[in-house]
Amino acid sequence: MQKAYINTMYQLMSKNPDVMLLMADSGTAYDKMLMEDFPKQYVNVGIAEENLIGMAAGMAAGGKIPFVFSNGAFLAYRGFEFIRDDVCLQKNNVKLIGMGSGLSISTLGPSHHTTEDIGVLRTLPGLKILSPATPRELEAVMKYACEYHGPVYIRMGMGGECEFHADEDICFDGKNVEFLSGEDICIFCTGSILEEVYRAIELVKEQGCHPALVNVVALKPFDEVRVVDYANRYKKFLTVEEHNIHGGLGSILAEVIAEKHLAVELKVLGLNDCFAGGYGTQKQLRKINGLDAMSIAKQILEMVCYE
Amino acid sequence: MRNETEDLQQLEKLRKEIFLTSYRAGTGHLASAYSSLEILYTLYIKRCIHVTPQSIQDADRDKLILSKGHGSLALYCVLAEAGFFPKEELKKFAQPGGILGGEPHKLEVPGVEATTGSLGHGLSLGAGMAYADQLDKRTSRTYVILGDGECEEGSIWEAAMAAAKYKLDHLVAILDYNRIQKMSAVEETIGITSWDEKWKAFGWEVTHVPGHDVKKLCECFENITYQGKPHIIVADTIKGHGVSVMENNPVWHWKQPNRKELRIIAAELEITQEELEDAKSIH
Repeated sequence: MQKAYINTMYQLMSKNPDVMLLMADSGTAYDKMLMEDFPKQYVNVGIAEENLIGMAAGMAAGGKIPFVFSNGAFLAYRGFEFIRDDVCLQKNNVKLIGMGSGLSISTLGPSHHTTEDIGVLRTLPGLKILSPATPRELEAVMKYACEYHGPVYIRMGMGGECEFHADEDICFDGKNVEFLSGEDICIFCTGSILEEVYRAIELVKEQGCHPALVNVVALKPFDEVRVVDYANRYKKFLTVEEHNIHGGLGSILAEVIAEKHLAVELKVLGLNDCFAGGYGTQKQLRKINGLDAMSIAKQILEMVCYE
Repeated sequence: MRNETEDLQQLEKLRKEIFLTSYRAGTGHLASAYSSLEILYTLYIKRCIHVTPQSIQDADRDKLILSKGHGSLALYCVLAEAGFFPKEELKKFAQPGGILGGEPHKLEVPGVEATTGSLGHGLSLGAGMAYADQLDKRTSRTYVILGDGECEEGSIWEAAMAAAKYKLDHLVAILDYNRIQKMSAVEETIGITSWDEKWKAFGWEVTHVPGHDVKKLCECFENITYQGKPHIIVADTIKGHGVSVMENNPVWHWKQPNRKELRIIAAELEITQEELEDAKSIH
């Protein structure tokens, strides 16, 4: 993901001098490369997320297209009011990239986990929330955000995400794509956890179970129409996310199911209204918290066998 | 001399307008508005700020952010006087169908450059605007009016550091230094303020001005030069200035007058009984 982010940022900044990159001491050595090549478009305000967002909003008001890059937890929690009042309320054209989504900063504990960001940011009017799962999706989403005029939050993983798209050039159109069609159950997942879900599906296939898979890139606005279509084809939904079970993808699906009177069974898999426990690699943390391929496969089989 | 008399007369008229606008709605932060009135008057009516109702879309206009959004009544009355929107709009202040809320909203009020209300946002917004201007080589200024109580917000100092680092010398903060916040005196609340030392230490150019003296304020704005440092004008003001019962009294942070106070205010601002009745009969 990091590489895709840097390459895309480089392209966007070289193509359009109005594209800015703002940091709160939150970049890497690669970001320094951007600083050297685009010294005027690159701004590091220091460890100060509130000012980071406020200044970005001011730049947007002055005609710039600021991309703000910082840990998603710091942006969404510490910066929430600045996102609300300065970006959303004033409709300023700011693009927020919350990196380290979910459990990707896995050794530092919950202060650095972004596991409630969808829940809090989803309440903000006019903020698009996009959650790419692969490097090519991130590139497509960043290009889309740059073209679109208005506030966007991009939830970005940093755990060496695999690529699941064969095409180099993919286009993001706000739709949530059915990655795999299936029979027994439809699984919805968002962000980096796609790879665990993929592996879980391989595991349950060995047991003769064939789930469908929808990769949710657009969390807000959410593509409700397709959900109705999925509900007609699959009677069971399972959502999987590196996020609290409250307020995230599972809640979004629950709202759609209730509002559209869909006759489907729903199971929400995520952090069970707790902060993630343990330390280790992202994979180890997923396992500790019941979000690894094996745990997901177990949930799928439980749901499918429960007839 | 004639000019100074005219200014005083116009300011009295605006003070009256501010009071009636608030009285009509039964709400508003009057004392905060009176604290900033001469600052806003000098900028918009004495034309120290380079923006007109015709130029609000121009990229090279000067911009002003009322970071202490509570002062909105003064901003609205001055903007209406300067022709940014019809004065009739003042009659709908904080009422259904109106565009003027208790805090200014950029998307609704012509001439308002940023939505404010929650404190500690305006300087960051202003720094961002000034940065964009600097990058595009525009010579326009961005003014930000801060409250002294507002400087208790940490984000102010985040913005102060960044503005100095990026040498935003077209950014002009005006500190409405009235020494009073909602519950009590600023120094009682937070201890020693030492604004001059603090802002200087943060790399800002500090100037002092008597905040109700239009002539001195004018000179101050005219004398700003660009030396690679952001500016802060510490304007010595009185919260509730020009209305005896409100002056230096924290109670007036957000209050409407009782009968006795109303008599005093009406006498001081030359508001007739008929005008008071008219204001209350509008709804």
